Amino acid sequence: MSGVSAIVVAVIVMISLNILLILMTIGVRALTAYQRSRRERVVASLEPLVVEYLTTGQVPARLETLSGYEQDVLAEVVVEMLSQVRGASRAALLQLSERVGLVDRYRRMLQSPRKWRRALGAERLGHLGGRAMVGPLSRLMHDRDETVRAVAARGLAHIGGEEAVALLARSLDDPSELTSLRVAENLQRLGQLAVPALVEALGRGDGRGVVLAARILGNLRAYPAREAFARAVTAGSTDVRAQSVLALGKVGDPDDVPLLLRAARDPEWPVRAQVANALGMIGDVSALGTLVEMCSDREWWVRHNATRALARMGPAGRDALLDVIRGQDRYAREQAVAALEAAGFVDEMIAALDDPGPRGDRAREDLLTLIRSGSANYAHSFAGSVASPNEPHSLLEEVISSDLA
Amino acid sequence: MILRDVVYAIDYFVFGYFVAINLVYVTLYLISFLEIADHARREAFRGLTDLYSSGYAPPVSLIVPGYNEEATIASSVRSFLALRYPVHEVVVVNDGSRDGTLDVLRREFDLRPSGQPVWLRLETAPIRGVYVSRTERLIVVDKENGGKADALNAGICAASYPLVCCIDADIILEEDALLRVARPMIESSEVAAVGGIVRVANGCRVERGRVVHISTPPDPLPNFQIVEYLRAFLAGRVGWSRLNALLIISGAFGMFRKEDLIASSGYARDTVGEDMEVVTRIHRTLREKGQRYRIVFVPDPVAWTEVPSTLRVLWRQRDRWHRGLLDTLVRHRKMLFNPRYGVVGLLAMPYFLLFEALGAVVEWVGYVAFVIGLALGVLDLQFAVAFFLAAVGLGALLSVSVVFLEELRLRKYPSWRDLARLTAYGVLENFGYRQLTTFWRVWAIWSFLRRNADWGAMERRGFGS
Repeated sequence: MSGVSAIVVAVIVMISLNILLILMTIGVRALTAYQRSRRERVVASLEPLVVEYLTTGQVPARLETLSGYEQDVLAEVVVEMLSQVRGASRAALLQLSERVGLVDRYRRMLQSPRKWRRALGAERLGHLGGRAMVGPLSRLMHDRDETVRAVAARGLAHIGGEEAVALLARSLDDPSELTSLRVAENLQRLGQLAVPALVEALGRGDGRGVVLAARILGNLRAYPAREAFARAVTAGSTDVRAQSVLALGKVGDPDDVPLLLRAARDPEWPVRAQVANALGMIGDVSALGTLVEMCSDREWWVRHNATRALARMGPAGRDALLDVIRGQDRYAREQAVAALEAAGFVDEMIAALDDPGPRGDRAREDLLTLIRSGSANYAHSFAGSVASPNEPHSLLEEVISSDLA
Repeated sequence: MILRDVVYAIDYFVFGYFVAINLVYVTLYLISFLEIADHARREAFRGLTDLYSSGYAPPVSLIVPGYNEEATIASSVRSFLALRYPVHEVVVVNDGSRDGTLDVLRREFDLRPSGQPVWLRLETAPIRGVYVSRTERLIVVDKENGGKADALNAGICAASYPLVCCIDADIILEEDALLRVARPMIESSEVAAVGGIVRVANGCRVERGRVVHISTPPDPLPNFQIVEYLRAFLAGRVGWSRLNALLIISGAFGMFRKEDLIASSGYARDTVGEDMEVVTRIHRTLREKGQRYRIVFVPDPVAWTEVPSTLRVLWRQRDRWHRGLLDTLVRHRKMLFNPRYGVVGLLAMPYFLLFEALGAVVEWVGYVAFVIGLALGVLDLQFAVAFFLAAVGLGALLSVSVVFLEELRLRKYPSWRDLARLTAYGVLENFGYRQLTTFWRVWAIWSFLRRNADWGAMERRGFGS
């Protein structure tokens, strides 16, 4: 074939492919519209049958002779209904899924060589399968595909129960971050039921799963995990220690403050930063001295968290921050002023300036402390930010100028 | 005789080049089709709502550089604050605006001066002040004018959170765009940066900072650009992302790990292609450190932008884009064909040099040689016409197939009219528009060689018009 005829053939092929692609585009749109209307028709025909079953307890004969496609639509209808009902109706819907073959269908899908079929099977069994499906789903937690494992985790969480929880807790160490994240989300959704298995997981060394276990327990404010946290604070890796002290803060028991005060001397700054957070959450005044010391920590995050923790501790914390501002450490002073600002204390001072009583005197004194500490810029800025004529703008200016003079 | 031989040689070179570039395109398309199909199936099981409610998504700082944005900044910031994400803050950087941008922000968001010092770990023009909102998670950095890259660097320094999402002040983000773009980073600590798709908002109806009805505009110019954007994002970037050789994340919408950006020295302030340059530099830095990483593109987090509707503004934009590409290639020439940089050095950089940067020159050399060849009578007219038609047919095929991919997997355009319009413009762009943009790219090379570093003003009609 000559060069020209080859090109001519290429032109014909191009034109044909273009026409084919345009037809395919039209076809895809038409097919999508058809599938949507078909699904709506099937849903409309199946919903009354499910309602009839729930009312009479008799499975309509039509539901026992559905095609594969219709079974998938029925599964969607049942899953939707399961999210709206409780008690006997829920049990009846699960029974219906079993009797019309939905459970068998999705169980078979778990063996499919196609990963998306396995994922679909896992998802549907999580909703429709009940406790008997924990075993098949647990085998899927070793699937080669991370998305399938993540979907199986969600399925197990839907089923719930101690066996499922224990399996999930063991999967926190999954090599895929995606899967372990999904497992963590689902364990958290299971709430207090997950606590014993997570406490056990917390004692399993230093891996990412242990860090996640501590984090979930903290989010669940799991009081029974306090002893496990205490052990982890002294024995775990930096991440485990940091998450454990933070979790103790979330649990919020003042009895844990001595342990946290000891952890405040941890050589690793992430742990100290979380100790400061935790002490702020508990809000026990016995931690004030340690928090003030932490305001001068060599790490920015520790200073930042310590000043924020003090700001959360009410008037005692505010006084402690003012002490920090009177101190020699410039970095601590900066953080303390920022924390007072963020907590709204400075706005309160400004608002109280024209108060003729002790409240106004105190506000003047505190603002002067800010200014003497080198925070005059802040005070000037506050003065500029007081926009309303009813606010004590001029008084504030006077305080500033007299002090600077 | 010599001229005749030269014309022959050029013709055969152009033909070979045409075959090579289209083989690369077809390969990228195949990869993209498979990748988007996989993404769409995976999406059905991803559990975006679970991620939103779980509290495991790290907080994000949205960096918004702004220059003379007083007309739109308040509504833009409001829409950014309302995005669906567990914890995020908006950091607006007022880059020395000459209008009332800062006053509008002060008034609308109840700003107060912040005492919090900004740790300047990147080079920026002097910062005049930092403000925080009393009511919203909003930080405003007021600085002297230094350009977009400079403003982004200041915003990154002022950001409180470990993930930063750099966006243009005038884009519209879909409500779950932040969650979707952050997801690859949440699900894998290896992911260093993520780009989302930028779509054309011309023709769409916008209400309260959200696109409420998607449609194509009546004007041809934005429609050509819609097809171009679809091709660039759905075929190009998805393909390169699969190969872990994505060299560009749109400056309008991209997410990074703050520490990686700082380790790579942030955005270069002396380039007009800061978005491509920063991604290339992150590749370079992380590969030199021997770190395992991925830079990915995901096709579903959508940012809407208004594209130029006049040829003059479009020319400026393309001129700037092409100079940015050339500048990045020159700066990082060390990576070219260098096995140390893996697939980036051996595949992506050579592709961008040979096909994206120089492709326009080869195409125009082909046109000129075609005319000279005809004049000298050394060209087989039949062959030349057939070749031209084949080139146009293949160009149309690439555009039409990306419209097909859009319809197959993403289905953003609801009406038949839009579908027909996009398909038609996918074919029509090969007759005139493509040659025009190619000429602009050749012009940009000339402009680059003359060391023109002009940014080029971008005029927008605004979403309300």
